[in-house]
Amino acid sequence: MACEFNLNFLKELEREAVLEVLYRDQMVRKTEEERIRKMKLQLQQLRWKGAKTARQEYQERSCARCQKSLGLLMNRGAVCNGCSHRVCSECRVCLNPCLWKCTICYAHGDVKVKAGEWFFEERAKKYPGAGRHETVGAKLLESYQNLSKISVVPPTPPPFTESAAGISVMGKELGESKRFNKSVENLFLSLTTHIKKISKSQNDMADRCVLTTDYGKNVERRKQRRSQSDTAINIASRIKSTPSLQQLITGAQNDSETQSKSSWKEEDDITTSPTSDAVFCDGRKHGSLYSLSSTCTESGNFGKANITGEIEFALKYRFRACILEVCIKGCKNLAYGEEKKKCNPYVKVYLLPDKSPQSKRKTAVKKSTVDPEFDETLKYKIEHSQLSSRQLQISVWHAGALKYRVFLGEVVIPLAAWNFEEDSMQFDWYPLKPKLEKPEDGLIQYSGELLVSVRLLVPAQSQSFQFEGNKDHGVLNCQLQVMIFGARNLPMLRSAGMLNSFVKGCLILPDQAEVKQKSPVLKKEACPQWKHLFVFDGVTPAQLQQSCLHLTVWHKSIFSSSDQFLGGAKLGAKEFFGSMDLASQRMLQWQEVLRNTNTWMDFTLVLHSNKENFKS
Amino acid sequence: MASATDSRYGQKESSDQNFDYMFKILIIGNSSVGKTSFLFRYADDSFTPAFVSTVGIDFKVKTIYRNDKRIKLQIWDTAGQERYRTITTAYYRGAMGFILMYDITNEESFNAVQDWSTQIKTYSWDNAQVLLVGNKCDMEDERVVSSEKGRQLAEHLGFEFFEASAKDNINVKQTFERLVDIICEKMSESLDTADPAVTGAKQGPQLTDQQAPPHQDCAC
Ligand SMILES: Nc1nc2c(ncn2[C@@H]2O[C@H](COP(=O)(O)OP(=O)(O)O)[C@@H](O)[C@H]2O)c(=O)[nH]1
Ligand SMILES: [Mg+2]
Ligand SMILES: [Zn+2]
Ligand SMILES: [Zn+2]
Repeated sequence: MACEFNLNFLKELEREAVLEVLYRDQMVRKTEEERIRKMKLQLQQLRWKGAKTARQEYQERSCARCQKSLGLLMNRGAVCNGCSHRVCSECRVCLNPCLWKCTICYAHGDVKVKAGEWFFEERAKKYPGAGRHETVGAKLLESYQNLSKISVVPPTPPPFTESAAGISVMGKELGESKRFNKSVENLFLSLTTHIKKISKSQNDMADRCVLTTDYGKNVERRKQRRSQSDTAINIASRIKSTPSLQQLITGAQNDSETQSKSSWKEEDDITTSPTSDAVFCDGRKHGSLYSLSSTCTESGNFGKANITGEIEFALKYRFRACILEVCIKGCKNLAYGEEKKKCNPYVKVYLLPDKSPQSKRKTAVKKSTVDPEFDETLKYKIEHSQLSSRQLQISVWHAGALKYRVFLGEVVIPLAAWNFEEDSMQFDWYPLKPKLEKPEDGLIQYSGELLVSVRLLVPAQSQSFQFEGNKDHGVLNCQLQVMIFGARNLPMLRSAGMLNSFVKGCLILPDQAEVKQKSPVLKKEACPQWKHLFVFDGVTPAQLQQSCLHLTVWHKSIFSSSDQFLGGAKLGAKEFFGSMDLASQRMLQWQEVLRNTNTWMDFTLVLHSNKENFKS
Repeated sequence: MASATDSRYGQKESSDQNFDYMFKILIIGNSSVGKTSFLFRYADDSFTPAFVSTVGIDFKVKTIYRNDKRIKLQIWDTAGQERYRTITTAYYRGAMGFILMYDITNEESFNAVQDWSTQIKTYSWDNAQVLLVGNKCDMEDERVVSSEKGRQLAEHLGFEFFEASAKDNINVKQTFERLVDIICEKMSESLDTADPAVTGAKQGPQLTDQQAPPHQDCAC
């Protein structure tokens, strides 16, 4: 399909023009995706507001939406024909005299209209095979990137000049002969990375450079309509899911290291699959540096097979219980794991980017078949908001004698785009694919999660100043409060046995000034609960709009003088790195805090292991 | 509180994302009938007599307020030339509505309408909404395609019809707004059949307490 659309027949100048349009379109698409994600998030919050725990549900008769208890005769509620839950009369939206829906079913439908799902559904009638949200623009870009002969920008790009930036570079270098299938986005990325490097102290300047030179006149036009934060999102979108050079390098190292260790990685009992409750266990028994992946196991002691066949599964998210269910039905036409037609298949699942044993689920091994039926449901306990940054890796393996394993193919599902519907799931066949050669795009090494609560405390008197439009910063003495609750799934360090962890907070203000805070050290805890409050005093909301908060978790080493980095997370604006998903999520969270002054906002931040991206 | 903060810091509340629907519209037709001019007139309210042939594809974004909804339009302008056909037809699939344009002073462009319509049928979804537009109606002296002929063809093809002028800004806005309206109609139609419950949405029920019906389970 992709070959139908390519830009090869165009002259160079034409191609430049079209590419410029495609990139502009990409910006529009990302904004749209962002809007839809936001809507879905709001819907989710509405859901949570009314979420009952499973126990409540069966013990008492109460409204599924507002929890008000219902009587047996009076005010007994009625069943919503959308979701089959009993709701009170106040939690209904009347659509016509004969039809009502509960508030959530109504909001759900509303989101569907606004997200344009109706069109995709209608269109699917004519093009059943087509992906719901695929667009030509995306495909064209993709095929262009695959077919073009853009030379790779060296690790240290030449000094940034106007003419060397953006599309004009592509134009010039198109004809060069080095044949690397490097994407245009990489090129942009290394440029932006470089810009960032040479003008660390002038973030704003760099920002503007990238904008005007990369997007050219069209951005100028757009700018009028766009707020600054919006363009920041779009910068992030441009470089989305392309790992930085550094990540690529460290990623590659990790892989080679892992392969040599893979023999003991796979030795755990292949028939067990942990239940949902065990998901956030503290991992004490895994006394190894497991953040190194155990998923790149196709070489070393592992056999290789030609990949064939398909796997059938369905995904379901139980919103109330916050459980992701992976229902593995079976496979067909699998490759034989070994010669002499031997195949004992099983399915292994990881919830990437977490590649730790805690993220691993397996089915039972089926003996001597290439069309196994598993009928197993593997479960993950995970909050819905977290799904957008996760990918499900479903791989099929042959279990030979003496722990000999052969990779039979895999499917990787980005959950951000997955349309989870309440109480429904659909089984589908997915073709098995070989492993990707290079590290998965946009996958940042996961190293646990940090639970925080943040609020912006605005004194009553300064609120009134804001209404009068008083810009005197001296008057606005706000306080940013960050409650560090705890962390889970932190990497275990082989030497340390148990963690002595603490958290550092670093607020980077628009003028690059850094305000720092540090929590006490909690000794020997795998899942530390600091419950420590960081207070950043004397900041203004205006400053915070342009600020970024880096939170890093460290292990205090007893024997060495330097502390060991465990993971970091960011909240706030102004970021060049990271995937689109993460950057925009971070921005949204930050905007929530700034908008809802004096209100505690809870966040579960995914910790990333690339130390160099954080200030502390 | 929020609005005060917003205006102060130039942080327009969710700026570009502040709309209800996003519609994608494609403008097609022979080269030089005035597609690009039509789009520029609508989006920027500008017109240039110079002819600059469009390369492949281009688009503009405009947000309008229609039927109590904010609608963001992404309007794609295509090159009429045959050599770009592979790119332009690829975009048909993503479009909810089309403006099919000819030039009332150019017989050939009118004769090509049938072919363009076939292209739509081939490459687009089944419910594609199409408006036929006869452009350059300011050039009455040089007219070679009568209004009546245009109207008849539109009727034959099942499209709505406008004569317009990008130069004199005649019927430009009306064309787009009509197209938006019929896409909206199509939308509620498709929701009607898919899920009767959402249809009510276009009458705009609020999530308010008062609207809850007094009766319990519905008897009908
Ligand atoms: N008189 C007149 N000229 C027009 C009108 N619209 C476009 N033109 C001219 O027709 C030529 C081709 O227009 P253009 O928009 O580039 O056509 P496209 O190839 O369909 O995009 C240009 O010279 C325009 O100035 C119109 O409504 N009236
Ligand atoms: Mg044109
Ligand atoms: Zn209720
Ligand atoms: Zn319901």
